[in-house]
Order: sequence, then structure tokens, then C-alpha cells
Amino acid sequence: MKMGEEVLRIENLHVSVEGVEILKGLTLTIHKGEIHAIMGRNGAGKSTLANVIMGHPAYEITQGSIHYMSKPLDELEVFERARAGMFLSFQYPAVIPGVQVGTFLKKSTQSVRQVELSARDFRKELKDAMGMLNMDSSFLSRYVNDGFSGGEKKRLEILQMLLLQPKLALLDETDSGLDIDALKIVAQGINMVAPLAGCLIITHYQRLLDHVKPDYVHAMIDGRIVESGGPELAVKLEEQGYEWLEQHQ
Amino acid sequence: MKYADMAPPPRSEHLWRYTPWHWMHPSDIEIIPDALPIRFEAQEPVDMNTNICVASSSNEYARVFLHEVAKSSTIVSSSKDNELMNLYAVASGHVACSHLHFNIKHSVTILLHLSGEADWCGLHITSKIAKNLNVSFAIVNELSNTTTYLECQDWDIAQDSSVEFAGITLGGFRTKSDIRSNLNGRGANMTQAISTHGIGQRHSDHHIEIHHVEPHTTSSLSAHSACDDESHLVTTGLLTIARHANRSDAGQVFRNLLLSPKARAESLPELEVLADDVSAAHGAASAPVDENQMHYMMSRGFSPAEASSLIVEGFLTAAFGEIKNPSIIDAVRTRLTVHLECHIKR
Repeated sequence: MKMGEEVLRIENLHVSVEGVEILKGLTLTIHKGEIHAIMGRNGAGKSTLANVIMGHPAYEITQGSIHYMSKPLDELEVFERARAGMFLSFQYPAVIPGVQVGTFLKKSTQSVRQVELSARDFRKELKDAMGMLNMDSSFLSRYVNDGFSGGEKKRLEILQMLLLQPKLALLDETDSGLDIDALKIVAQGINMVAPLAGCLIITHYQRLLDHVKPDYVHAMIDGRIVESGGPELAVKLEEQGYEWLEQHQ
Repeated sequence: MKYADMAPPPRSEHLWRYTPWHWMHPSDIEIIPDALPIRFEAQEPVDMNTNICVASSSNEYARVFLHEVAKSSTIVSSSKDNELMNLYAVASGHVACSHLHFNIKHSVTILLHLSGEADWCGLHITSKIAKNLNVSFAIVNELSNTTTYLECQDWDIAQDSSVEFAGITLGGFRTKSDIRSNLNGRGANMTQAISTHGIGQRHSDHHIEIHHVEPHTTSSLSAHSACDDESHLVTTGLLTIARHANRSDAGQVFRNLLLSPKARAESLPELEVLADDVSAAHGAASAPVDENQMHYMMSRGFSPAEASSLIVEGFLTAAFGEIKNPSIIDAVRTRLTVHLECHIKR
């Protein structure tokens, strides 16, 4: 396989939250067009990894580095990372009362692309993306994530990803709370973005990976990647759990 | 009762605790100042007449004062041909004051836009709503940032009539608003939503009373205040349910968004429930902008100023979540968006 350009390079990353070390020397490189899946038990540090890449202020990098498109990330604010093409699909997206989805999507798309979008062009783009995700237009007049079911929140995250066209997509447990049909639709969205981006999928389960074929699967234990492989590793983890990896530590 | 015969209200009174009378009077509190009338215009032809202002039917201090200052009463009557009324009120000169009465015998939507550069503006709105009507009313205060504004409103709602009330305060330097509603007949309903944006040194004090006089009456009140800079926003409520007004249902929620360390917000919802078989609830909360909301929006490309602006807009809009009338919602959202684009640093 021809390797695309390097999108993300993480070297020996150590991260703490309120003085507690969560990531303990994590190294990972993602190229354009690659799908990486990270699996691990609760508390292994998976969501911390996604949040620290996106620049959440609660996380402190104590050692190591993150490079995005060959440039160090540490000086970029969160919104600058988004404008540079990074996207995080949140495990628990925030509720923004009073802000309609349609307004939010248009403004965020304009902010990321840094261009004024004509109402007509944006409407068409939005309609196509929503059609692909089987989303009703009534979504647009609802307030962002306010009263949304778990599945609706995840669909909205994927809709944003389609509109923002990221170069790096971080998907934090995007499959949780989805029924089988919704899972297929969400996977379709990820597969649309994946060829033009580097993708990092954080998941507990094999089921999403039945629809989104990862190039690499990583097992994470206690803040480190302890095993990497192809899609077969996800199958093995699903069948055998993580105990066999702990025995190797 | 004459103003000259009345003693000024003490600050120990709930109504005047945060905004004493001498702050609201245009000059020396013993004086009845000369005033120009507020100029009322309608976008479409409406039945509107102006008469000499009569004495207030209430003995409440501010109402008595407003009626003695106002030279005129403007009476707007609904008609079956006017389902939507766009009214513009312009206050100019040193002191501007009027009484505005709505005589409502048909279902109607009224949008009242208040603006002007007057140093002091006083307005008493009264309304009697006949039986079996659906009425929606919005008042947008976009007075000059230097205007002192005294407002009283009195709404009498008859049996099986429903009122949606939306109020936005985006202007004025100092505002005292006293809004009272009486649910006088079975099945009467009042849904009230009020948003206030505090910028600069604005002091805005809303007092909202809802009185459930008869059984089977319902009300809800949602008041949102976004407090920036050195503003001081006050919301006090008084919800009463009379002894025989059983099966009434009432709720009040006051929320404050604190955007600056020097901004202050006070919320005091009060209940007086004398009936046994009712549902009544109230609550108040004050908090700064939620960090998770900010992070989420910034992760979508919004700068901190853009994210904060949109969160404030959403917060102020969310007060109107129970209002169903699309004309009211459109008007409120449009004015808020325009106002915030002008006033919030991006």
C-alpha cells in the first residue's frame, strides 16, 4: 500500500490530569488514508488521547510531543486545530440550548473553512449530507444536542464531520448507543471521510469495525499501546479480552 | 390617590429592594416632570386612538406616577382583520411618557418595538383580554444605552384565554419593569418569557407577578439574564395562587449567565400558595459559561469570542422555548442576533 502523507505523529506522550498520569509514553503515527482503531478497557486512556490531541485545557502534556501535518501542535488553540483540519467526534457532545442545529452547522462550517458560504450552496451541501445519514430536516430547527437521544447525538457528530471535511478525524466511541441500522449509517459517513483523512477510531467493540475496515488496530493498557496489528487483533480482543496482553507486560 | 399624597416606597419592600425609587425618578422625587408623549406608529392600519390620560386605577406608586406624568393614553383595539400588529414606540426628548392600553376582543399577535433617545422614558401598558382568545405579545426594548426606563404592565386574562408574552431588554441604562398578570377565569393561561442582556453598567430590574385568581389556571415563567461587563441584572417574581384556585399549575425558572467577574445577578422567585390542590414550582440558577460548551464549540472552529457570543445568543433565545407563536419567535431571534452581532466583541 502506498503510504500517504503523515497527518499525525505522537512520540512518547505522557499526559496528566490534576496531577494523575493517564498516558505513560504513547507513540503513534497516522498517515492520510489510514484508519487506526484503538481498543482498551475503561480507564486505559483512550478518551484522554483524543482530548489531548484536540487540545482540551484540562490535560497537561508532561513529556513527549504531538505533530500534526509535520508541525508541533502545542502552540495551537483548540479552534485553530479545528481550522487546521482536526475533528473530534465527542463521546459526550455538549448541549447548546437555544442554538439551532442549522445555524450552528453553517457557522461552524464557515469558521473552519474561513469563507462566507452562500445560503443556497450550503443548503445543498447540507441536504446531501443529511440525506446520506438518513436525517430528517426537522433536525435543523432543534437546539444542538438538546433532548437528543444517544443515536441522534452521534449522527449529528458524523454530519459535522462530513461538512467540516477534516484531515484528521478522531472518533471517540462513536458507535456507543447506536442500533444496528444507525451503526451502518454512521460507518458509511466515516468511510466517506476516511480516504482523504487520517482516522483514529476509539471503540470498545468489534461491531463498528465490521463496517469500517481498519488498517491498524492498537490495544491500549494503562496509558500505553501494548500491541498493534491488523483487523485480526480486534477480533482476538473481542474473543479473549485483555488479560492475555496483561500477562505479557 | 395622588402621587403627592403618597410616601415613596421603602427599600424594605420586595419590589424596590434593588432599585430604589429615587434611581427611577427623572429628577427630584417630589416633582411631576413635563413630558412628551411616546410616539406610537403601526406598520399596518390598526384601530388606534389617543385620549387624555386618566388617573391610574391602581394605587401602586409607580403606576400612579406614570399616569400623572403621561399626558396621553393610546388605546389599541384588536379587530378580526388584524391578526398581526407591528407597533413602533419612539421615546424622544428629556422625558417621554405614555399609557398604552390594548383592548383585545380577538385573537391577535402584537409586536411592540420600543426605541428612542429620551433621557427618561415611562410606559404603562394595560390590557384586558376577553374570553376564549389566543394572544401573543412581544416587547423589544432597544432604547438608547443612556435612557432610564420605568415600565409597568398589567394584564387581565379572562376565562379560557391564553397569552404568550415575550420580553427582551437589549437597551436602556437603567430599567425598572413591573409586569403583573391576573388569571381571572377558569382555563386562563399565561406563558411568559423574558431575556435581558446586561452590558456596560446597565442596571435592569424585572419584577414579574402572576396571580392565579381562579381554579384551573396555568402559568409558566422563564427569565434568562446574560450579565456582562459591570452590569447588574435583577429578576424578582411573585406567584400567588388564591385559596380557592385549585387545580392550578404554575412554574417559574430564573437563570443567569455570568460573563464577567464584575457582573452581578440577583434572582428571587417567590411563591404564595393558599390552595391545597395545585402544582407550583420555582427555581433559580446562576453560573458562568460552561467550559464543556466552550470547548465543544471551539473544537468546531469557533474562536473564544465567537463561541461565547453564540452561547449567549442561545441562552437568551432558550428563554423563549415555551413560546409557540412563530412571528414572536422570529422577531425575538432576529433582534437578538442583530443586537449581539453589534455588541459582542468577536
